[in-house]
Amino acid sequence: MTLAWILIVPAIATLAALASRRAAPWVTLASAVVVLALSANAALMVAGGATLHEAFGGLSLDALSAVYLLLVAFVGVTAALYSIGYLRVHDAGHEGTTPRYRAYWPLYNLFMISMLGVPLVSDLAVIWIAIELTTIFSAFLVAYENRSAALEAAWKYVALTSVGAMIALFGMLVLYYGIHHAGQPVTWPGLLAAAPSLPPALLLVCFVLWLVGFGTKAGLVPMHTWLPDAHSQAPASICALLSGVEVSGALYMLLRIYPALVRNPGIAHPGNWYLVAGLLSVAVAAFLLLQVHDFKRLFAYSTIEHMGVILAACGLGMGAHELGTVYQFFAHAFTKSFCFYAAGMATIVFGTQEIAKVRGLMSRAPVAGWALLLGGLAIAGAPPFALFISEFQILATGFATGQYVATGLLTALLVLAFIAILYQVGRIVFGEPAQAAPRMKLPASSLAAMAIAFVPMLVFGFYLPPPLQALIHQAAALLGGTP
Amino acid sequence: MSPLARYLVINLIQIGFLLVFAPLLQGVLTRIEEIIQGKHGPSIFQPYYDIWKLFGKDEIVSEESSWVFRFAPLIEFAMPIFVVMLIPALTAYPLFFAFAGDMIAVGFLFAASGFFVALAAMDTGNVYGGIGASRTRMVGFLAEPVFMVAFFTLSYVANSTIPYVVNASWAVSWAAMLQPAHLLVIVAFLLLVLADEKRLPVDNPAGKAETAMIGHSKNLEYSGTGAALMKWGGAMKFMTVLIVFLNVIITPWGLAATTHWSDVFFAIPKVLWKMFLFLLVLAVIETTLAKLRLFRISEFLASAFVICLLAMGVRLVGMG
Amino acid sequence: MPTYLAIDGFLAALFVVFSLGVIATRQMLGTLYLFMLNSLALTASAVLIGIALGSPHLFWVAAITFSTKVIAIPLVLRWSAGPQIYERREVEQVLTIPVAVLIAAVLALVAWIVSAPLVHAISDRPFAAINLPTGLVAIFFGAFTVAVRREAIAQLMGILIMESGAFFASISIVNDLSIITEVAAAVDLPVIALVIGLLIRNIHRVTGITRVGLLAELKEHR
Repeated sequence: MTLAWILIVPAIATLAALASRRAAPWVTLASAVVVLALSANAALMVAGGATLHEAFGGLSLDALSAVYLLLVAFVGVTAALYSIGYLRVHDAGHEGTTPRYRAYWPLYNLFMISMLGVPLVSDLAVIWIAIELTTIFSAFLVAYENRSAALEAAWKYVALTSVGAMIALFGMLVLYYGIHHAGQPVTWPGLLAAAPSLPPALLLVCFVLWLVGFGTKAGLVPMHTWLPDAHSQAPASICALLSGVEVSGALYMLLRIYPALVRNPGIAHPGNWYLVAGLLSVAVAAFLLLQVHDFKRLFAYSTIEHMGVILAACGLGMGAHELGTVYQFFAHAFTKSFCFYAAGMATIVFGTQEIAKVRGLMSRAPVAGWALLLGGLAIAGAPPFALFISEFQILATGFATGQYVATGLLTALLVLAFIAILYQVGRIVFGEPAQAAPRMKLPASSLAAMAIAFVPMLVFGFYLPPPLQALIHQAAALLGGTP
Repeated sequence: MSPLARYLVINLIQIGFLLVFAPLLQGVLTRIEEIIQGKHGPSIFQPYYDIWKLFGKDEIVSEESSWVFRFAPLIEFAMPIFVVMLIPALTAYPLFFAFAGDMIAVGFLFAASGFFVALAAMDTGNVYGGIGASRTRMVGFLAEPVFMVAFFTLSYVANSTIPYVVNASWAVSWAAMLQPAHLLVIVAFLLLVLADEKRLPVDNPAGKAETAMIGHSKNLEYSGTGAALMKWGGAMKFMTVLIVFLNVIITPWGLAATTHWSDVFFAIPKVLWKMFLFLLVLAVIETTLAKLRLFRISEFLASAFVICLLAMGVRLVGMG
Repeated sequence: MPTYLAIDGFLAALFVVFSLGVIATRQMLGTLYLFMLNSLALTASAVLIGIALGSPHLFWVAAITFSTKVIAIPLVLRWSAGPQIYERREVEQVLTIPVAVLIAAVLALVAWIVSAPLVHAISDRPFAAINLPTGLVAIFFGAFTVAVRREAIAQLMGILIMESGAFFASISIVNDLSIITEVAAAVDLPVIALVIGLLIRNIHRVTGITRVGLLAELKEHR
């Protein structure tokens, strides 16, 4: 019953949060912790390569989905903890009384259910519904500020990602026919089993529809326009969830169809699609990073860049790339959520998100300053953080397999993004504050959340616990197409 | 009677059918609309009285006008008579003049009368005539490409632009009737009929304000015989367009299949019955829609054009 | 079977015309009515294919489509954003309507050409040759509606038409969708309509307009 409980617990928390306004934050936090424990337990069970099935096959979990499940559960805990203090400061004066604050916690739990559903549900069409629901439930979380800019961002987010979702739905339904016609259940293993016998045109059309549809949700260029807007307007805790796990949920779909494409004999070089789409996103994001004016948009573009890196890494192919892809996917969630927490602190300190107006965070609030600096280093891929390992792995594999052009290009763009991020972060963190102001006192629960988020971001750069190591290797094997 | 002579006589019967019943259609349409609007309305024979009365009146012609002004009513009156000889008004088989012109020729004949009427409207120097004529031309220019594409789509289906052949190609089976291309052409053609006959929502036939008129300002300067011919000719043009729409495009049934006199005469009530049903639809459209602003007419016709293109596309990709 | 195919083609043509109407119509309420008509065409096609193939599943699809799209969604929208929808207002466009419908025609042709290999790959489903290209046309039209219409309601209709398009295509090929999927889809759509309707109401409350295309505060350069 583990898998079912992972979905039931937040559902109960939703009802509790609706019932009791006062207890809502704590109930949500408790539910997130329980979900993390259950997810870790479930992930341990599949780390050896097994697959869990529950609810008459309606729910299932394998290593690759367990990786995603763990990420959602972990960021879910830190984001819940972070929001408790962050929203209190943010709504200073009337915390807990505004309707939007009351709606926040139930919606947070619903959002978590929908995201947890993506890795847990077996049926592909139901997974599509879960992904669409992540958009729907998070719409009001993005619009939390309730200013016209926030509503505009929320509208763009909902409209564009729903358009993408509908395109993906078409691909999904055609794929449904193909898998069903091949006599397989419409699940990920069924897709893999059916893949060799599917008509190549059918599989390829489905994939292209997914690439456009889920690519919109994953913020791939040129469908990325909603992403910086939504991330600059949503509260930092929601940004962490959106950027860290929701966006990569759509990418997860694209990663999972990859082995099916590889196994179909009629499709030559499926990796090239991934490579081109990925490199395009990395390139555009790297150049946009140089000219951002808003530090939350900075991290939003960095998300686009990372989605591109994951996709390009997947497309490099040739055996050993999977490990880099999965690790990048894994490390991005921890790192990016931490970055947004730090950015949220900086917003609290300065009351603005504009880079030009923000100087000397280090002297105003040293904790936030250090956090933003370390987060910037980590997301840019500096050692010893986790993303360094994955990016190094990807590039090393790419060069080792002789794909000099693509890997060289990726390297150059990563260097460019590295410079851009550190340049922008440096402007915020160092320098003299515009006016002398007292040191800010930052909310304790948010600082605690940042401390928790910091641990994996740093530690996984040089040490990975054996069970996690096994899990990631299993997931990489699944991505490689081992049934 | 030799078959050829018989065909000729049937052709004459068609012309008589047109001449006699055209004003009736106008009267019935007005009456239906009045009833829908909760009024009693004039007698359905009112257009006959009007035409009769106008024939008995003196004609006043502006000294400033030229021969075009006096010539235009004759053209307006004569063109529908030519056209009805080319289209299947009562018979499903081609008659004497059937191959003298195709649907594009029908378009040209109407264009010729439209040209003269527009010139005549400007001829007297009356401002309203000029405004109306230029607006009519604007609608005409926008409608013409649509007519062309509609005709081409029809001929693409039937491999011919002769209306008799087109109508036979729909009538073969239900499957042929229900083709998507056919439906799309019907929708587009309905929009065209509304625009070309200056019905709502393009133009308000019952409108009395000269500044808002599009098609109806052409009659403003006419009196006596000229006005009677214009009115009668307009009614006949309306009926001819309905014949094309109903007998060729939507409902290719109810036409005489043989050359027996009884068959031909029984076709008259059947065709009139179809027209009555269509007038009901038209009356509902006209009483529920508001008139479009002048520059919205291009949107209306662009939609018709696109629907035609879709019909063509459906044929091209072999779906319909 | 040819008669079924012909009637299905007829419904497909209606489906496309109603989708085109959502791009071209001026009246805000008109877009909602056209969407409902569009859903009726989808329902009818599902019933027809269900009869032709003897598939009771498609009757379910038809019933769910009818109850969600023709009944539930208009009700939900009336409840959540009623005054914003039911006031008589014209929808603004980025492009003029003639240009928009001409582009739509090109999109339709592109959709037909693009779907040709797919139809070829699915040769064992007789209705796929009609429904698959038509569904793709509606998806293109819906996306185009979102792109060219500045009004939130019209954009929502575009998104819903895309969904209908995907289902219009799928009823011809997937006539055995699992019940859970159908129920989930049935719940999903009104939820989408509800949330987007509430979002529209909030946008109207805060900014005073629902012409989302005019909101342009978020830019890279300030």
